[in-house]
Parts: sequence; C-alpha cells; structure tokens
Amino acid sequence: MATKTFEYAPGPNLAALNDDPLHGEIMQLSMGPQHPATHGVLRLEVELDGETIRRLEPEVGFLHRGKEKTCESLGWAKFFPHTDRLDYVQPLMNNIGYALALEKLAGIEVPQRGQEIRVLLMEISRIAAHLIYLGTTAIDLGAVSMFFNTFKEREKIYEILDAYTGHRMNNTYVRIGGVFADVDEELEAHLRSFLEGFRGEVDTFEKFLTGNRIWYDRNRDVGTITKDEALAWALTGPNLRGSGVEHDLRKAQPYSGYEDYEFEVPVGTVGDCYDRYLVRVEEMRQSTAIALQALERLKASRGGEVLAEDRRYVLPPKAKVHTSMEELIFQFKIVTDLSLPRGEAYQGIESSKGELGFFVVSDGTSRPVRCHIRAPGLYNVQAIPLVAEGRLFSDMVAIIGSLDFVMGEVDR
Amino acid sequence: MVIVKRKDLSLAERLWLPEIGRALSMTLRAIFKPKVTRQYPEEPLPTTAVTRGQPRLRILEDGENLACVSCGLCEAACPAYAITIDGHETERFIEREPEAFEIDMLRCILCGFCEEACPKDAIFMSNELELADFTRAALVYDIDKLKRPTAALTGRMDYFYKVTNRWRNSSSTS
Ligand code: SF4
Ligand code: SF4
Repeated sequence: MATKTFEYAPGPNLAALNDDPLHGEIMQLSMGPQHPATHGVLRLEVELDGETIRRLEPEVGFLHRGKEKTCESLGWAKFFPHTDRLDYVQPLMNNIGYALALEKLAGIEVPQRGQEIRVLLMEISRIAAHLIYLGTTAIDLGAVSMFFNTFKEREKIYEILDAYTGHRMNNTYVRIGGVFADVDEELEAHLRSFLEGFRGEVDTFEKFLTGNRIWYDRNRDVGTITKDEALAWALTGPNLRGSGVEHDLRKAQPYSGYEDYEFEVPVGTVGDCYDRYLVRVEEMRQSTAIALQALERLKASRGGEVLAEDRRYVLPPKAKVHTSMEELIFQFKIVTDLSLPRGEAYQGIESSKGELGFFVVSDGTSRPVRCHIRAPGLYNVQAIPLVAEGRLFSDMVAIIGSLDFVMGEVDR
Repeated sequence: MVIVKRKDLSLAERLWLPEIGRALSMTLRAIFKPKVTRQYPEEPLPTTAVTRGQPRLRILEDGENLACVSCGLCEAACPAYAITIDGHETERFIEREPEAFEIDMLRCILCGFCEEACPKDAIFMSNELELADFTRAALVYDIDKLKRPTAALTGRMDYFYKVTNRWRNSSSTS
C-alpha cells in the first residue's frame, strides 16, 4: 500500500510556485469578521498568490466595547462583571487578575483559604479554556467528534461552576480581598470526582489527536515560531512555551500562593502548532494536579475565612448590617464610595492565553485614573502574519487555532 | 520543566485504514454511551438556591408592603445602571417606600451586586431565569412585575445569609 506523505517545503516554495498556472495572479481575500475559523470577530486581509499567502494583515477592533474607559467611569468594584466579559471562556481567571491588581494597590492580604479557592478556580478555568481551544481547533481542522468530546467535559466544569456561583459563565464571584462564597464539602467531592475522571479524558483526547494522521500533517511544522521570534513578538503563555522558552508567571512571579504547589511547566522544542498543542494538553494535566492539590489544602483549611476582614473594601456581614449602625455605615460607604489609595500597581497572571495583566492607577478617589488591560490575545493575533505569510492558505486555519485568542479580550 | 514528547507516526498510523476503522469503532461505541444533551425547553434547567436568576423585590411578611425603603444603594451598586428608584414617605412605622422601582431587564446582567448592597433584605436573586418578550418596553419591569412574597425567596435568603456570614471569629464591629 502506498504511504506517500504530502510534503512541501516550509516557507514559500518558489519552484513549485513557478509551475503553478495561477502564479502571479494576486487575489485579495477578506476573511472575516464573520468567519467560523477566525474564532470571533477578527478580520484578516489576505493577499493570495494561488494558494500561497503573500501578505496578511489582521484587523482587530470589531468587538471593542471600551472596557478600560468603562472601568474609569464605573469605579473599582463595579468593574468586576466587566472583567468576566474580556476573555469570556475563563471569567473567573479575569476576575482574579483584576482583584489581585487592586489588592496589590491597596495592600490587602487575602486569607489562606481564599487563596486556595482562587487557585482552584483559576486551574479549572484554565482547563475549560484549553478545552475550548482543543475543541474549536480540532473542528476547524475537520475533527468534528473531538469538539463534542471536549465540550462534554467543559460542560461538567460549567455545571460545577453553576453549582458554586449560580451562573455557568460570567460568574463574578471574586471580590476585593478574596472570593464571595466558600466551597462546601459537596462541591469539593463533585470537583474531586470530576478531576479524577478528567485525567483519563485527557488521555482519550491525546489518543484521538496526537497520532492522528490528519492532525499530524496539518499541525506538524506549520506555523513555526522560533525562540527569538516568540520573545521579540512578546508572546506569552503556551505560545511562548511551545517555542521552547520556559516562562510561566506561576513560577516566575508567584501569586496567590502558587509557589507552594507542585507542578511542572511543559515546554516545546520546535515551536510549531503541534508543539503548542502538546504544551496545552500537558498543561491540562498539570492543572488537574494543581487543582487536586488545592482541594487537599481546602480539606485542611475548612472553616477558614475566604474574604479578608477589611472594612474599607469588603462589605460587612449581612446579619451585622441589620443590627449595628457602624456596619451599616460601612455598607453605605463601600457600596457608594469605595476608594483605593493613591498609587499604581501592575499584576500579571498566567491566564490560559498568556500573561494577563491589569495596570491600575488611582488618585485616591473612587474612580480609577487608568485601568489598562494587557490582553495576551492581542499579542497572539499580531503573530499571525509572522508565521502565516508564505504558507498555504489552509495552514492559516491551523495557525489561528493554535495561537488561541479570544476576541473579547483582544478588542476589550 | 517537562519537555513535551513529539512522537513520530508509526506505520499503522501512517496508513489510513486502521485509523478509519478506529474512528468508526469509536462512533459505534458512542451510540451506546449515555446521552448528555439536555433537551432544554422540554426539560427545564434545574435551579437551586445558588442560582442567580433575575432580581426580585421581597414583600414583607404582612403580605402587602415591600421591604424596600428606597435607600438607593442597589441603584448605586448596579454596574449596568439597570435600576431606577423613586422613593416617597409613608405613614407606616418604616417611613419610606419606593413609589416607582424599575429594573431594566435588558440591561441587567444578573451580577447580584444589588442583592449584596441592599441593607434591608429587600432585593434578592430569584431562580427565575427565562426572559423573553415581544417589545423592549415590556422588559422594563416595574414593582408589580418585580414583587414576590417572602416565601418565594426564603431559599435564596438562607443561602445568602450563610455565605455572607463572614469573619466569624471577630467580635468587634469596627
Ligand atoms: S438597596 Fe434595598 S432598600 Fe435600598 S433601594 Fe435597593 S432594594 Fe430598596
Ligand atoms: S443583578 Fe446586577 S445588573 Fe441586575 S439589577 Fe442587580 S446590580 Fe443591576
């Protein structure tokens, strides 16, 4: 039986181009903003020579909602629901990133249990976000059943989040100083059984894809970003690690007590789409391990506080508001005029897409002077031309999928 | 640091046929697996006390007056500017009540900040989730559409009290 592999040289294969009867005829193609393979409202202006991409220009901004300005007009605490809608596949992660920046600025200590819950939430959000990456990229490359399998698992996560926060998406359950609610035993048991089963599921995903001929051919040596390029284009997260740079903010600048957890940072060697895929799959395994460790810690710290006791920023207990004049005043003060001390703070967290950073500047009033969001997705979008130019048009789908961005965050 | 393993395809993986056979067997096996799809409109979504549905106003135990004193805190806390309140004085022991209380359900993002802000336990997130109508005006809910007897909200109230019972070890109030 013939086992001929379809191969073409990486980069523009000029010899092949000269044989191409269509060579020399440049076609302008506008892909998106409404295109299923662009993962959101991204427009790509492509100049094609036959099937080869000559020039490519991504155009962002179709989902621009002015989040940064909204933060400046809404005030500190009211911006939390808006952070959910940045990278809407991992709302709790964005909540936590924003809360960490505010806590840094105000110098608030989050109680131990609150931090453990945050780590747990961040890791399951990461798993959910990577599942979306895997499902959507696979369906773009033709593996339809993969999409259903990953979404089935993601649905389980969303059910757990629903049981914890009351919403499937847009959870808004993080507050300045901790998280809104405690995780009870029932939920812990539910999470544990999910996480234990999930390990096997990741293996199944790998069985579906890693050795699959179509997946292999369409990802291997496609969209290769070298180490230097990745650094030069400010890529972070799995895209940077796929190119072989070991950089993970959870290790490099630990926050929320990540230094106490044991996990490995997966790193690729070549930097192609296949490496990025492998890195993300391995990250799901590591996240599962971290989440299980966090559950173990939660068992030990049961009964602890989840919100810092700080009457400048945290709403007092409801029962006390009814009985104590002091607490009622705090309630009014915090709701109407929560102000953070003068100064500025930047906090970056390792989100599923890369370094998600919040830079906040306060002049001591209840409205931020500036709130800048460093969206990792924007940098990932910028890298598309770098790797797609000179490649076949059909490779672009694999490249877009593997760079993994969410337009809600890119456009803010 | 772990370096991810890039493995090369084996001969069996390079040939198309075994893969096709494997894919078909997976499809066949999936037929007998339990179904996970939810038949949504026929099978309503399960709701619990944790569910954050649309905000509703609580009627006091006396059955007619609202618990709300139109202090305006929920209006101030709402990140979507969905709430509009107009208050007036009454002859009752609690001397204030809302004359008009409107929540624009098209703006409301069900965040629950109003519930957290209210000092009088007057507004709670109910378990009512469905929201559809033919005109925009019909989705601006007034008091008549928003009020619910205390009994309908007790589950949520209990949950909310349990959750906000924080700083259990502290004794001072300031
Ligand atoms: S916060 Fe409560 S009491 Fe005050 S206006 Fe809103 S619902 Fe009424
Ligand atoms: S749930 Fe949120 S958006 Fe809706 S009325 Fe209350 S505070 Fe406003």
